[in-house]
Amino acid sequence: MLAGLAELGNAYLGFLNFTSIVYGLGGALIGICVGCLPGLSATLCIALLTTLTIKLEANNAILILICSYVGTLYGGSRTAILLNIPGTAANAASCADGHALALRGEAGRAIGIATSGAFTSTLFGVLCLATVTPLLAEVALSFGAFEFFWLALFGVTMSGSIVGNDPLKGWLMGALGLFVAQIGQDGLYSHDRFTFGWSQLSGGIALIPALVGAFGFAEILTTLADPIERKLVEMKDSVLPRFREIVQYWPTVLRSGVIGVLTGLMPGVGEDAGSWMSYAAARAASKEKDQFGKGSIDGLMAAETGDMASIPGHIIPCLALGIPGSAPSAVLMAAMIIHGIQPGPMMMIEHPQFVYDVVAMTTLAMCSILIFGLFLVRPLLLIMRVKRTILMPIIFLLCTVGAFAGASRLFDIYSMLAIGIGAFFLRRHGYQMAPFVLGLVLGGLLDKSLRRGLVLSDGSLLPFFTRPICIAFASITIFTMLLYIPAFKSAVKRVTSGIGAQLTRCFAR
Amino acid sequence: MTDHQREQNAMTVTVPPSSPDSASGDVHGPGRADFFGALAWIGLGLAILVGSIGMDRLEAQDVNPYTIPGLLPGLLGIAMMILGSLLALRSWRRGLDRPSCPDTGRRGAEIKHLALVLALCLTYGVLLVGHGLPFWLASALFVSTTIPLLQGPQRRATGQKLTLRTVALSAVIGLGAGGMITLVFQKIFLVHLP
Repeated sequence: MLAGLAELGNAYLGFLNFTSIVYGLGGALIGICVGCLPGLSATLCIALLTTLTIKLEANNAILILICSYVGTLYGGSRTAILLNIPGTAANAASCADGHALALRGEAGRAIGIATSGAFTSTLFGVLCLATVTPLLAEVALSFGAFEFFWLALFGVTMSGSIVGNDPLKGWLMGALGLFVAQIGQDGLYSHDRFTFGWSQLSGGIALIPALVGAFGFAEILTTLADPIERKLVEMKDSVLPRFREIVQYWPTVLRSGVIGVLTGLMPGVGEDAGSWMSYAAARAASKEKDQFGKGSIDGLMAAETGDMASIPGHIIPCLALGIPGSAPSAVLMAAMIIHGIQPGPMMMIEHPQFVYDVVAMTTLAMCSILIFGLFLVRPLLLIMRVKRTILMPIIFLLCTVGAFAGASRLFDIYSMLAIGIGAFFLRRHGYQMAPFVLGLVLGGLLDKSLRRGLVLSDGSLLPFFTRPICIAFASITIFTMLLYIPAFKSAVKRVTSGIGAQLTRCFAR
Repeated sequence: MTDHQREQNAMTVTVPPSSPDSASGDVHGPGRADFFGALAWIGLGLAILVGSIGMDRLEAQDVNPYTIPGLLPGLLGIAMMILGSLLALRSWRRGLDRPSCPDTGRRGAEIKHLALVLALCLTYGVLLVGHGLPFWLASALFVSTTIPLLQGPQRRATGQKLTLRTVALSAVIGLGAGGMITLVFQKIFLVHLP
């Protein structure tokens, strides 16, 4: 405990220097600018910055990436409030109440609420990150091939179920991601799989070009295919954060913080789930339900605290288990691996200081967004006035550089283009990219864990279903999939409503 | 978005179609597109399964039969076939006669616009970059051509003409973007460019 606190103190001291502060502020500023631009996601921002910072020292590079991650989600709220278009998917829940406030002439107040909510919830998330990560990593040390097999499958299944509104399509995308991860040399014998004799494919489909394609090029195509420009709402009132409102709405802030962190812990679910769940919970608990969607402070606060608290939540499984909580944290994990830090259960043994460094980095990111929220709101809004026809070609140049820079292969540019075009058409038919990304990240782990597990058990499937942690993961995964069958779903509903009625009768007595 | 829709979104925790990560969600309903999509998934799953079964089992290297390289891809192929069949069954039950997308004038314009964007991006990514032309020049050419070509239809729609000033401004933006990216990535952060 004391050793942990000492390491945390050392981490904070390590980042209290001019270079780190400049990198942190720069990362957050780039993130806010990207977040302000509708169509550009946190995933794309981190993927592009990963290539830009590839030659920097590991701690400085990851600091820039974490600050840009926090900055992007915070910046996305501006677009939601002023344009009624979510800057990132996570800000979609802020649109209704944020924009309604802006139309009432309270745009500054709405941005102030977003700033104070973002600061407070990130602070809550940072506390959870510092305390939960070492504990989870300790539990994960007991994981073997069987547990990792189920953990990977659980992540892809949950991501497919929760992201979007069609689990079937989500699972198909998860399976596609897992398959794409199998292309190239396999992890045990370096045998070429599905390369068709093409040497470029032997190295597999790299994660960064795939993500730049799925979240960057696909987004450029989506944005440019729909040439409608929206009108920006003028901001007349003060943008100073309202900490008074944080005190007034503390139950919402606390509830949304807890929901945000908990959804963050679930693999591949994404920040938007934290935001929507917090919004739904705030609405359920509110005495002014009718105000939701019409400029409710409670609703805006819940949406903004929910998504921001989920950022540290997503980093927790990424560090402790090596399983990313969302698409942006998948890129963050890839960046850590590029810089020689392997996330996962062994991290607390091999790089114990790094976990506390990440806590300090997230704190610095939190302070950066507060500074920009206080002093740079109006100048940053100028970015939102740049025409998409000017911005998108430049973003495409960055996507090309981002895909190429990791391995200096032209093949990576071609795979970025191919995946981008595929992702664009799949998204138009309701297929989500998050399960695909998670499948791509976890494909290698799933393959190795399955084959190692089968060797350990001499071909028996029993240990996959009889070890305690495996039972838990397997039950949730299978139950989630069975819920898709109407007969099973209605049976579950009957049972749960029956139990609910019994409990109500008991309490009534 | 109506209040009712908002309420549903909030309660079911889904990403609305207006959000970037779910942009252009299936706004026209499933229809035939889902059915043909499902057939494509079944075909892909079958191809993966056949490829996995035919994959070398490394018997010459005396590897453990439980660790053959085609094991997981084969299982994924089966999973895709099952999920694809469920999708096909669902879209069949919902009715195939429902059009997947109404063919409106706006959609025609959107397709033309999309084809133009795709052609420009593919020309840059496949032909211009990495084949001898300096990166800054290839990028400047791409940006200065793309901006007027994309702004043209929008300006025509509002009765405006593409002026020489816009073309010149696009060239300046193109040169600036190409030069700045080269400077920042290659000279400051030492990143290799195509």
